[in-house]
Amino acid sequence: MAEIAFRHVTKRYGRTLAVDDASFTVADNEFFCFFGPPLSGKSTILRLILGLEKPDVGEVLIDGRVVNAVSPAARNIAMVFQNLALFPHMTAAGNIRFPLVERGVPELQIRARMADAAEKLHITHILHKFPGQLSGGERQRVAIARALVRDPAAYLMDDPISALDARLREETRVELKRIQREAGRTLIYVTHDQEEAMSVADRMAILEHGAIRQIGTPSQIYDHPATAYVARFLGSPMMNILTATRQGYSVSAAGAAIQLAAPDLTGIASLGLRPEDLRVSPWAGGTGSPATVIEVEPLGGHTVVTLEAGGTRLRAMLRGQPDIRVSAQVALTCDPARVHYFGDSGETLRPSHQGGSE
Amino acid sequence: MSAIRLENLVKRFGAFTALKTMDLAVDDGEFMALLGPSGCGKSTTMNMIAGMERPSEGRILFGDRDMAGVAMGQRGVGFVFQNYAIFTHMSVRQNLSYGLRMGGRPKAEVAQRTGAIADLLQLGDLLDRPAAGLSVNILQRVAIGRSAVMEPAIFLLDEPLSNVDAAFRAVMRTELKQLQRQFRQTMVYVTHDQLEAMTMADRIAVMDHGVLQQVGRPLEIYNDPANLFVARFIGSPGMNLLAGLPLETAAGPVVDLGAIGHSPVLAPAQAAAARRARGAVVYGFRPEQVATVPPGHGMAMPVSFVERIGARTILHLGHGAQGAKAVFENDVGLSPGSMAHLAPIPAAIRLFDAETGVALRGT
Amino acid sequence: MSPAAKPGPDESARLGLRLTLPAQVLVLFISVFPLLMQLYISLTDWSPLSGLAWPRAWEMWNTFANYTDLLSDNRLWSALGRTLLVMAICVPVEFLLGLGLAILFADNFPGKRLLYSILIMPMMVVPAVAGYMFYMLFQSGGPANDLLSAISGIPVTVAWLSDPTLALAAVMVADIWQWTPLMFLILLAGLVGVPQDQVKAATLLGANAWQRFVTIVLPRMSAIIIIALAIRVIECFKIFDTLFIMTGGGPGVATETISVYIYKITTQDLIWGYVAAIALAILIVLSVACVWAMKRMAK
Repeated sequence: MAEIAFRHVTKRYGRTLAVDDASFTVADNEFFCFFGPPLSGKSTILRLILGLEKPDVGEVLIDGRVVNAVSPAARNIAMVFQNLALFPHMTAAGNIRFPLVERGVPELQIRARMADAAEKLHITHILHKFPGQLSGGERQRVAIARALVRDPAAYLMDDPISALDARLREETRVELKRIQREAGRTLIYVTHDQEEAMSVADRMAILEHGAIRQIGTPSQIYDHPATAYVARFLGSPMMNILTATRQGYSVSAAGAAIQLAAPDLTGIASLGLRPEDLRVSPWAGGTGSPATVIEVEPLGGHTVVTLEAGGTRLRAMLRGQPDIRVSAQVALTCDPARVHYFGDSGETLRPSHQGGSE
Repeated sequence: MSAIRLENLVKRFGAFTALKTMDLAVDDGEFMALLGPSGCGKSTTMNMIAGMERPSEGRILFGDRDMAGVAMGQRGVGFVFQNYAIFTHMSVRQNLSYGLRMGGRPKAEVAQRTGAIADLLQLGDLLDRPAAGLSVNILQRVAIGRSAVMEPAIFLLDEPLSNVDAAFRAVMRTELKQLQRQFRQTMVYVTHDQLEAMTMADRIAVMDHGVLQQVGRPLEIYNDPANLFVARFIGSPGMNLLAGLPLETAAGPVVDLGAIGHSPVLAPAQAAAARRARGAVVYGFRPEQVATVPPGHGMAMPVSFVERIGARTILHLGHGAQGAKAVFENDVGLSPGSMAHLAPIPAAIRLFDAETGVALRGT
Repeated sequence: MSPAAKPGPDESARLGLRLTLPAQVLVLFISVFPLLMQLYISLTDWSPLSGLAWPRAWEMWNTFANYTDLLSDNRLWSALGRTLLVMAICVPVEFLLGLGLAILFADNFPGKRLLYSILIMPMMVVPAVAGYMFYMLFQSGGPANDLLSAISGIPVTVAWLSDPTLALAAVMVADIWQWTPLMFLILLAGLVGVPQDQVKAATLLGANAWQRFVTIVLPRMSAIIIIALAIRVIECFKIFDTLFIMTGGGPGVATETISVYIYKITTQDLIWGYVAAIALAILIVLSVACVWAMKRMAK
């Protein structure tokens, strides 16, 4: 049982603000993801949860209890580090049983838990090998198994699969999700890969410079980003963000090449269009904004097209392998309901009758 | 002049054969990606092209010139290491001008060429900064500029984006591609990320365990993989591969997929391929190339997991060897536990010989 | 153990302080106290022959007279000069030899392990034993002369240890034999720490072996090189065992280095106040040099 929460936690290292007034609650048994660019405070938050650091301001709570002064060992949280930290002089089996031996768990139980974890992670056949003899993927799974056998209140994982091959990453993240479900424990996960975060998280928090910008399910954040920063972070290719100005009943962007019916909002400074929301058709002089195709990237399942409209570059993502050539003249259209509008400081503008984010 | 040809290339390290008989031709000015999982021999191949390793057998030719015996420093190739190998005890300017200075070029020429490269790569403001401590994005450009200033005919890049955070990778892919367009040099690029290869390369050479699997344009490899390995490796997710037996039914030729049932009737091209099978086949279709159909038609598979990733939703269907994935836009309305009824686009089906793994073609 | 019993982050630090307190007191007693004692005595004319116990040395107070005396002590300055001469010749030779060996050992060659063991051996020899060894080597009828006779064809019967100049040369040879292995080890460690990727990158850019050495290898070894040189320079001021056994500081004062001089006036003339002043002065000079070296290294 572990509900983990922060109440207005701030942490400084010298003059650098690592965590800026962070507040959140991770529910019991939730797969929660912290996502953000490097140096945005993700690893610091993990260290605060684990107890390796103390907050300068605010409280860290586990199951409703303030644990600021409690030692890491007493908090009963298992962590998988980014560099795995496997003991090179022990076999995989030795590594995995180490935390249990340390805690004086009876031998029979150790064997049972180890066998169970090894089976879940498909590493039973390599338990006798040393870390130096294992591949990157195998080492990763041994590190995860070591955390798994501890049966802690919660798991923390700091970017555990970024060192793996792309293909292996895709497979391992599904495995991790399955394991978390089966283990029934809270898992707090840090990553800078947006596809990974959206795939595994029940809920996620987006970080910028140590501050939490938005918390929600991946779908909520993707469909309703709180700021332009958040909107740009999720989705590949990135959302196209263009400066926009209101002119009477329409909104104009990309040097007047894009015209949209003005929504019921004030203070529009820019608008955002997701590449997959853009429709491209041959230019016939009718509806749509005129654009020229600059580049075509055929990726098999979909095609990314870079376009230029009114001097601005945009990217559109089209399904399959449409027949589009470079320098073709095309018409750009977009469903008005899928356009995001942002204000001066990048915050998303919403009609007054709708609620805020999350 | 700067075309590369690898003939019968073999590389052994003691008892271990890292590369088995590789034949490859890279055209002048082409961007060729060497793609494959860790340990497939792609880095070994590139090291041999650069001259850092000597082939155990076979030869490497630049244009018509056999490179046997030509030392590493004499080959005129540019090389970008995975960790960039920037001279961190020197300034950016000293890094960029290193090759020219060691080659004894006159001071005026060194200054002019260094300045030109710096402008091209937008490093002009950073020239006199120490190279240590700069961001990865800048280091990549310094690494490229350091080689590019020598105006090599051939550029080799060894997984240069693998140390870069996922968030920046897309940005840097675009930069690299633009640079290649500008310099128009022959580029050989090693990677394990199929998305990188598909985005950037003119042609891709797919490798596995020291053997070249297939060479072709990105879409060729995607649409017509030569074997099971390529089918699985290219595409995100990879191609669905289900074991089955060709069967003639009253409705037409199908593939019997065991517990899943019969596949939809095969189109003529696929039927011709099925007829060439000598036994069991593998029925392949891409996750992006399926459509939902009413119950009773197509294949029925239970949904085990739903992955929603931004613009797409990946349905995980079935389990283990009978498993498959399907990719949809987000309005699919299926949840774990329910039954999905799917039919792949007939023209997109690919059949493979179950024993050899080689693709079956009608003609 | 219940959560309340184990210390949290802050309490661990305080506990650590308390646990290391005994060790800190010991270090204080061993290093700081003698230093203060030495400073105290150096400001007096005290000698064990004076009949007073050392805490009462203040009765023979002479303020800075010892320090001014040492400035005009010719024998001291000659000894210092000789020490610096030994340093100026031995350190560069040891450095170059050590560097050459380190470069040799960077690659593999048959017999590497064996040669390695042989090279390390001089370091393991007790300095006094080494002194005796070289004493015998440099006798008029000894192996050194035999070797020279064999090489040159002319019978050589130089009396190394009786000739003022040659004795110093013999001492330098002994020093080089003893300390080159240490330089070799330190420089090898530094050499191995040079990132191979950068060396390869330099090669691909067309740099030849010499250029690579000067532009990549040496700069990246600079921290280690400074450490090696600093260690060796400081050690030079402490040359004693080997030298004393070989020559006793002679003939006359021909091989009297600073340590030998201090030893002599400590044990023979027994003017300990003066000796304390000399030692302290050297300590200060070497400390300043050390700090300078460390500042250079931190860059």
